[in-house]
Amino acid sequence: MSDTSESPHFSSEGLRLAGSGRRRILLVLLLVALVLVLLAPLTTTDQADSLGLPSLVDRSQVRILTTIAMFVVLASGWNLVGGLTGYGSFGNVAFFGLGAYTCAVAVDVHRLHLPLAVGIALSPVVAAAFAALVGLALLRLRGHYFAIATLGIAVAVGEVVKNIEFLGGATGLFPPILRRADLVFLYLMVGVALLAVGVTRVILRSRFGYGLIAIRENEDAAQVLGVNTTAYKVAAFAVAAALTGLAGGVFALWNSFVNQELGFSLDFNIQMILMAVVGGAGTLLGPVIGAVVLELLIQLLAGRSDVAVYTQIGLGLLLAVTVIFVPRGIVDFFGGRSRLTLAQIRRSLRETGV
Amino acid sequence: MLSRRNVAGLAAAMAVGLAACGSAGGGAATTTGEDIVIGAPMSITGSQSKEGGLAKQGYDMWLQWINGQGGIVVKGTRHKVQLKYEDDQSKPDISAQLTQKLVAEEHAQFLLGPYGSATTASDAVVAEKNGVPMVEGNGAAQAIFNQGYKYVFGVLSPANRYLQGVLDMAASLSPRPTSIAMLSADDNFSLEVAKAVTDYAPSKGFAIVYSDKYPNGSTNLSGLVANAKAKSPDLVLNSGHLQEAIAIHKAAKDLKLDARGFAYSVGPSTPDFVTALGKDADFVFSGSQWTAQVKYRPSFYLSVPDYVAAYKKQFSTSEEPDYHVAESTAACLALQKAIENAGSLKPDKVRDALASLDVTTFFGQTKFDSRGINVYKPMVVEQIQDGKHHTVWPADLADAKPLYPTPAWSSR
Amino acid sequence: MTLLLQQVVLGLLIGGIYVAVAMGFSLVWGILNIVNLAHGALVIVGAYLTWWLFARLGLDPFLSLPLVALALFGLGYLLQRGLVNRVIRAPLFFTLLLTFGVNLMIVNVLLLLFKSDFRSVTPAYSGSGLGIAGIEVPYIRVGALAVALLVAGAVGYLLNRTRTGAAILAVGADRDAARLVGVDLRHVYALTFAIGAACAGVAGALISTIQAITPTAGEPYTLQAFVVVVLGGLGRVSATVVGGLLFGLVETLGQTMVPGLGAGWANAIAFAIMVLVLVVRPQGLLGRLA
Repeated sequence: MSDTSESPHFSSEGLRLAGSGRRRILLVLLLVALVLVLLAPLTTTDQADSLGLPSLVDRSQVRILTTIAMFVVLASGWNLVGGLTGYGSFGNVAFFGLGAYTCAVAVDVHRLHLPLAVGIALSPVVAAAFAALVGLALLRLRGHYFAIATLGIAVAVGEVVKNIEFLGGATGLFPPILRRADLVFLYLMVGVALLAVGVTRVILRSRFGYGLIAIRENEDAAQVLGVNTTAYKVAAFAVAAALTGLAGGVFALWNSFVNQELGFSLDFNIQMILMAVVGGAGTLLGPVIGAVVLELLIQLLAGRSDVAVYTQIGLGLLLAVTVIFVPRGIVDFFGGRSRLTLAQIRRSLRETGV
Repeated sequence: MLSRRNVAGLAAAMAVGLAACGSAGGGAATTTGEDIVIGAPMSITGSQSKEGGLAKQGYDMWLQWINGQGGIVVKGTRHKVQLKYEDDQSKPDISAQLTQKLVAEEHAQFLLGPYGSATTASDAVVAEKNGVPMVEGNGAAQAIFNQGYKYVFGVLSPANRYLQGVLDMAASLSPRPTSIAMLSADDNFSLEVAKAVTDYAPSKGFAIVYSDKYPNGSTNLSGLVANAKAKSPDLVLNSGHLQEAIAIHKAAKDLKLDARGFAYSVGPSTPDFVTALGKDADFVFSGSQWTAQVKYRPSFYLSVPDYVAAYKKQFSTSEEPDYHVAESTAACLALQKAIENAGSLKPDKVRDALASLDVTTFFGQTKFDSRGINVYKPMVVEQIQDGKHHTVWPADLADAKPLYPTPAWSSR
Repeated sequence: MTLLLQQVVLGLLIGGIYVAVAMGFSLVWGILNIVNLAHGALVIVGAYLTWWLFARLGLDPFLSLPLVALALFGLGYLLQRGLVNRVIRAPLFFTLLLTFGVNLMIVNVLLLLFKSDFRSVTPAYSGSGLGIAGIEVPYIRVGALAVALLVAGAVGYLLNRTRTGAAILAVGADRDAARLVGVDLRHVYALTFAIGAACAGVAGALISTIQAITPTAGEPYTLQAFVVVVLGGLGRVSATVVGGLLFGLVETLGQTMVPGLGAGWANAIAFAIMVLVLVVRPQGLLGRLA
């Protein structure tokens, strides 16, 4: 069987279920984690308290779980465009911000004053519409140019929003505080995360997905073979934007505060890319693993000023090491064959280095 | 032998002994209760680490003092204070998460504010959701207090006051300045300051001859300064941050903008301003929440000179504390007084005590309006004279007269 | 009228800084096809080095330029040879991520060393300048422009008139062909990156005299380098010079001369223009398609 492991490109092998025991272990672990995430927080409710159930998680941990779920969505969204299609976007946070601001403006008492559900529903729509519009122009660019253009868009949109009073201006927007809704938001965000993973799975198994992968591997050949590359790329861009925008909308209501710094956060921007790449770009579960591992790491190390600088240096190092030695990400370890032998690493270096 | 005299003497001795045991107050024999845990998310690292470090100093000053006293008195019981810090890296999303962690995992009963308006806004949401009173001294944007939060209180004067003192002072100078150039960063706080200036100036007889805003953190402001120069303003005002204040002042020198007075909302009060500009920093005014020369008479805690001395001792420095330190200590004092007044550690009772608080400390009057912000304390005006900071306005709090007009650049 | 002329002068002068900053960035991108997200960090390292030499040894910032250039040259060579060379043939995106990681590391090491205090280099002649017909022309900025143009000239000469330059251009045109002809790819790559880093260091030295520096002050310069390169184009030194000067002019004039808009829109407009140029004319004004 032709061994595609020699090519420096990503492999979509990681999603086939057949074979590897490691793969099964990973799936079981994720399933158990999901069940825990869904059930454990229920022990913090008043009802559970009256039943005398010990509280397994506290509000702070519920908040962390919600954040992890949010990043699963963001990383999966990036993965659709950057991992599957090979168009590494450096500006996906623009969709997050658009979604967050759409929702915040929609529900604001002094602005549109629409019901909360409408606000959430509008977020993906606005984000996707913007992506489709802008994508038609941007997706003609490739490589570095595409990355920079998307970054430019993200910064530009953030700056525009900061200058318009109706959109909150420099102050930001304050959606109403919803009390006792921590669990609601957790389940909502986890739901969106499951949606994101589900959508990715459907795409990966569809003609559309194969088309995207073809574009990544060799766009000109794909075009010659009859793939409508423009339509496919824009569609992927729009779907990614919709998911990311939806997460933004939920975030706005959950956080009850949105400003340019939060909505168009360059931190979130780079984190979602890191998570997808470290987890395994182009795979189904890569973004999930990346989001869980990295966010837990960040949360574990947050708050301690003595290690703050070292954490950042460590993140930079992690990025460098991943990119050089483990370009296919963690999920590869659970793939068909382990790619993490010394010989494999040396071979991979010889291919990618000069 | 139990003679009557002996019994009387014994009884007397016992009475005195019992009385000594049972006396409350005077620090001697009150009961001690559980520690009070106060949470403080703070920008110890990150883009706001300088100011965050100063704020932390302010908190630490109060902490050392209150525990030296034996703790906060709640209905005759003393409770020592545990102050738990978390470093939010100057990021609002991390700050909110850490605030929640302080409440849920570290059992913080009360919260002290972080540094900066965006982080304060984020943390205020968490405090409000959890019903935990938060007293802050480092986030002056009014937007936070326009949301109707019940549990959030700010001891500092709101943003719109920052340069009003400068205008009041300018109205008293002679030859009287009449024109103002207003340059503002485009972040929330700076814009509030600038808007207040443009609204207030006409009533004091000033004309705004030039006004513009620039992206927060800009370092290339010579274009704006050249524009301002073309209008020959008497006063050049800026609301922004240290980096920009330095850039504007350097550009003013480069372009020979000879304004009669320069006033910056933020920057001049920090030592870095003088270090970066040297002699060029002289004559610069700034609006300040507090200076080491103000003459307030406090009803408790240290007086102004004692505070300055205690600061120099605690941090082994010859520098005076700047207002970031003072406003942070003031926040702690407000919380302490409210707890004492409430006679309880229940969040709602303390919250109510905060709402009705009215007390004067070394920082000035601390009283909150219905929104939770302290509109009752005036801002003072500082000026750098020969490399040193002096308070020049209002007159009853000042220690020096304003040096005006500022000499032209070529004759310095 | 005087105001307009003053703004034009200011714009050109600040444009000189942008030329210096973008020169190294453009070289590395044009030849090696590497978008170096750590470029701003290298600039700031140069700035800190200059400050250190000035504050501790009293060395004038313009005199310490060769030292700073040399130091950054060495740093750049090591970075490329040790790290970036390993991902050259990998998908482009990886070099972006790698240089981003390097950026994180450099900035935080600077934070460890220098804390976040603001530093400034203020030689005795700062603030003084020529006054011609009501227009101020500060000496330091003129010096910066002169240095920037000198650097541009030097890089141009190196590329077009020396053997090393020929090797570099060859690698840029077709690396495998160059290797076939006997060019040591690893060395040339590292050399090119080192020259780019040296340019960044010089830019940093100039910047330290104009603004206060802090470890995170390099980020905006990476973004500005992007815009300059996109505007001017890749592949030619002259493209970067034109791009830098143009950007300086547009930024200064746009900030201040457009009535009603206000300088707060400056960033939004700058990036919108950049995206527009990318979409409409990716090779910029003078560049060749990379």
